[in-house]
Amino acid sequence: MDIELTHRPGNTAAKVTLQAGETITAEAGAMIAMSGNMDITTTTHKKNSGGLFKAAKRLLGGESLFLNHFEPKGEQGTIFFGTDLAGDMMTMELDNDNLIVQSGSYLASDSGIEVDLGWQGFKSLFSGEGVLWLNLKGSGKIIVSSFGAIYPVQVDGEYIVDSGHIVAFDETLDFSITKAGKSWLHSWLGGEGLVCKFKGTGTVWCQSHNTSSFGNALTPSLRARKA
Amino acid sequence: MSDLTMEENSEMPATQTLPTEHKGYAFEMVGKPDYGFVTVQVPAGKMLKVEASAMATMDTNMKMKTKMRGGLSRLLTSESIFINEFTAEGVDGEVGIAPGTPGDLCHRYLEDDTIYLQNGAFVACGPDIEIESKWQGLVKGFFSGESLFLIRAKGTGDLFFNSYGAVIEIDVEDDYVVDTGNIVAFTEGLDYKVTKVGGYKSLFFSGEGFVCRFSGKGKVWIQTRGASAFVGWAHWFRPVQKK
Repeated sequence: MDIELTHRPGNTAAKVTLQAGETITAEAGAMIAMSGNMDITTTTHKKNSGGLFKAAKRLLGGESLFLNHFEPKGEQGTIFFGTDLAGDMMTMELDNDNLIVQSGSYLASDSGIEVDLGWQGFKSLFSGEGVLWLNLKGSGKIIVSSFGAIYPVQVDGEYIVDSGHIVAFDETLDFSITKAGKSWLHSWLGGEGLVCKFKGTGTVWCQSHNTSSFGNALTPSLRARKA
Repeated sequence: MSDLTMEENSEMPATQTLPTEHKGYAFEMVGKPDYGFVTVQVPAGKMLKVEASAMATMDTNMKMKTKMRGGLSRLLTSESIFINEFTAEGVDGEVGIAPGTPGDLCHRYLEDDTIYLQNGAFVACGPDIEIESKWQGLVKGFFSGESLFLIRAKGTGDLFFNSYGAVIEIDVEDDYVVDTGNIVAFTEGLDYKVTKVGGYKSLFFSGEGFVCRFSGKGKVWIQTRGASAFVGWAHWFRPVQKK
């Protein structure tokens, strides 16, 4: 599997070249173009293990319930992935590791990686921004996307990141939801509300822009919808 | 098997100028691939067709005339392709053109060729290129999700078109599948049909819906983002109507 990121950082696309027999799993709707010999199957979970229970967990995760699996027939095939919003992408390689990815930032992963609702699913219900986490586990390549630019932060000790700015983080980090200001009132007035506090040693990948902030800035200009 | 070539952005200078042996008008593109903007030098007495409202800057000797093109069918398209003609009177003049969407710009010099553009992708062309709305047929048009019409650019001269997001050029040798929302343009001679991907489960749940399957030999230009995908995302930020 060969992954090439093009047109970074504003309108990044990922070009993935697969050899016969290789499979890539992607978020529903991420494919923008592919060679004609690509087979697509849609499952509720990791290929060949689509249990209903796990599917329901994914639904609760706010991430669309479905994943697409692409496999070239006969010979090598290519596929391009894109996102809905402007921004960058990053590839990572897991070697029997765990990575927690913000659900909106997950784009695609090697078939050797299991995509599951993170163990922090319950906690994140309180993170205030509808941000939920996927737990990526196993070995292989991963593509994550960001809204805006993407930058790593090495945490050694403690560090605070607004929950809307997190792309992914090492599972070695402990994570808790806390207030940004001195008091809850200050946090709320400051517009920061709840933030994530990381503890331990590891990397947090952050995005320069917050999708909710952008969306909320658009709200006054958008025509009302029916509930 | 399809062979791919791509414009590798990182190796491309931000400013793109024409090759020296270029037969059309002189031009300069800046801000690619995120915020493409093109300035075209129109020789004295010559004319350039520009998408309505896309002109951003121009010399004072440029005279504008609005033309009715595309006949009756144009009235039916959701996207108007009203075209303004800019003629350089007396001396050479330049026109700076900013497409409506932030994204990439492409230039092709047509030599008695035809290129089909997604509705909204047209930016500008030389005087000897005919711009027409082309009915795609009900099935192709309806499921392609974007519009029932394509724009046909036919003739000889410069053609500029734009995208939402960056553009990737694909050489189709055999067949290639493109999400209907990501098609920018394709060359004549490619056959295309709108199909579903995978089985019926994929049709409803893959998030891809219908795709366009191109076959034959030619070029397809795709965009890395889609305006309709962005609108779909923004939908959830619309205020909720109160009773």
